[in-house]
Amino acid sequence: MNLSLVQMALIALAVLGCIGLVFGIGLAMAAHKFAVKVNPKVEEVLEVLAGAQ
Amino acid sequence: MKPIGSSLIAWLSLLVMLLLVSGCGPEHRFIKGVSFKGENQITITFAGPVEETWAKNPANYKVYEKPDPDITLPISSISLSPDRTTATLAFRLPLNRGQAHIMSVKEIMAEGKSQGTAVLTVKKVYFGYLLSILLGAMIIKNFVFTKYLGLCVFFGTSQKKTTAVGMGITFTIVMVASAMMSWFMYQFVLKPMRLDFLQIVVFIGLVSLSVQAVDTILRKVNPALFKAFGVYLVLVIANCIILAVPLLLANNEYNAAESFMLALGAGVGFLVALFLMSSVRERLEVADVPPTYRGLPIAFITAGLFALAFMGFSGMSIF
Repeated sequence: MNLSLVQMALIALAVLGCIGLVFGIGLAMAAHKFAVKVNPKVEEVLEVLAGAQ
Repeated sequence: MKPIGSSLIAWLSLLVMLLLVSGCGPEHRFIKGVSFKGENQITITFAGPVEETWAKNPANYKVYEKPDPDITLPISSISLSPDRTTATLAFRLPLNRGQAHIMSVKEIMAEGKSQGTAVLTVKKVYFGYLLSILLGAMIIKNFVFTKYLGLCVFFGTSQKKTTAVGMGITFTIVMVASAMMSWFMYQFVLKPMRLDFLQIVVFIGLVSLSVQAVDTILRKVNPALFKAFGVYLVLVIANCIILAVPLLLANNEYNAAESFMLALGAGVGFLVALFLMSSVRERLEVADVPPTYRGLPIAFITAGLFALAFMGFSGMSIF
């Protein structure tokens, strides 16, 4: 295997990108499937409060 | 909490059993088994009678310790059993039985033809070997007390016993999940594509992935458990033991069962460390500590004493 550095970097980018994409989609689907209903008022109240901590 | 814990243990032990069964297959069709014998001998059991001239030639065997492929161990003599199915290799020096040895057997000659070359792993009894990895990671080479890893979470969550146990259990679950994923990724994606140099990046991603996944799923499936453990989940990412274990697995070329045991040992070892530390710190609350030492300073001293005590285990080997 005589790969130039550029090729190697491209392969690495492609593989990492694929891994990231697959797991990202997986996580998004999990988040969708296991979504928990949160009272929308909680968010509104948090918005109004000072967000220092 | 009780029923959840026991069913979890049942599942974990089932998984261990499965891995053990899958990990014990034969490595070559013509070799039934290899094992250590005595101080400096290895026996090989063949499936049928082999040719004597082939079996007695030391050039056909190459044995080395798994971490040092460059150092071939010198063979002093070879004896063959009368039925020609068992060869015993004697070595000039005593073997280090705690270490897995790789033995390659060249062109096994039997029934007049070559049966191919076999590369075998010689280990102590497999179950014992796994147990020694588990206990090694848990106590003898405890990540907190002998490698000084994961200290910030260790000091942060060891003030109360309940916190310590919660953190320890959450940590163990995430540890096992992410270590198994990292092992899989390393063996089947990174290594075949020669991307080993990216291992740290990928392992960090996998750790945060498993933390996020456990967080999402636990929130829905078991809100009570999430309330108890959810706080610690985020802290797990900030722990370096969880990154050290996949790197160790990758360096030592562990197989699935061994990786599982190391991850479990690291997790339980952290739990033990947290529990011990929190027990001491709870008592220190009521002790008359000089004002200069109150709080973290005395905790650091305690951790140092624990580390000293754990040094007593160093170099021990089980089985």
